[in-house]
Amino acid sequence: MSDMDTRTLHLLLFSVGGICFGVDAGQVAEMTAYNGESDVDLFWFHEEMGYADKAVRYQSPIIATIKAGMGSQYRVVIDSMEDIAEFSQSDISPFPSMLEQFVLRRGCWGILLRQKQMIVLLDFRRLLRERSSE
Amino acid sequence: MEPSHEQLKSELILNELKKRQRTKEVVDVEEERVKVVFFTCGESQYAFYGTDIREILPSFDISWVPGLPDYLPGLINVRGDIESVIDLRYFLGEEKVNHGKHLIAMAVRGDFHSGVMIDSIEDVIDIPLSTIHPPLATLNGAARDLVIGGIEYGGKTISLLDVGKMATLITV
Repeated sequence: MSDMDTRTLHLLLFSVGGICFGVDAGQVAEMTAYNGESDVDLFWFHEEMGYADKAVRYQSPIIATIKAGMGSQYRVVIDSMEDIAEFSQSDISPFPSMLEQFVLRRGCWGILLRQKQMIVLLDFRRLLRERSSE
Repeated sequence: MEPSHEQLKSELILNELKKRQRTKEVVDVEEERVKVVFFTCGESQYAFYGTDIREILPSFDISWVPGLPDYLPGLINVRGDIESVIDLRYFLGEEKVNHGKHLIAMAVRGDFHSGVMIDSIEDVIDIPLSTIHPPLATLNGAARDLVIGGIEYGGKTISLLDVGKMATLITV
């Protein structure tokens, strides 16, 4: 990968339960409206991320199809999709080292500050890798 | 004229001054003082060494992040720096009360730095080091791992918490 590839990131931004996330848009194969389906291979974001007892109410659920590698796909219901925006790598902060061991297990790898709002950067492929190794 | 070997008055005075200074230094060592920050967490009062607390921040929005254990409620944005937050109550066996109104004490020791949720600041004072006594043997649970001493303050014994021990407890 060249320097040019990592200098900027195109992030798909969405929120679930009041927490804003950013995912590399290159990981997303497709976005479709959620119409109440309950397929066994369709996951809910808050369950995948271990929201536990936090109350989560989806406002405008959307199914994101993630390129999971090796030609496979992973479908997850996310919420309140905002847009795809370009961010500079220099705007990204790593998590405080004390937290890394916990958050990386959930695929969360960095923080982006946008107008004082924290955006949690999420790598779905990392999340899936961690999940398969558990 | 050959200089006299008689001790000069100025030398006598200077020697006396130096002698006094040395005595004062000995006294100062004996009376070494440390700054401590008294605060409340839950229903009890505790203290940190003042040198371990960089600043006290007013109530902050703590951003939760997936995957964090209960004692790490999330992150705060301190003037553009992302800092973790520790909920001490988890270790001290204190009830979760008044969750919306808390202060953040920024604790720093070596490479370790993190916000610590506290309920209020009671006092910041200098105390003689000698007034800190060993922790009570009756302490139990995780609190025993955090406490390095007791301080008599306001008619009560306040547990002095060690930021270094807190860092070890969390990062291990």
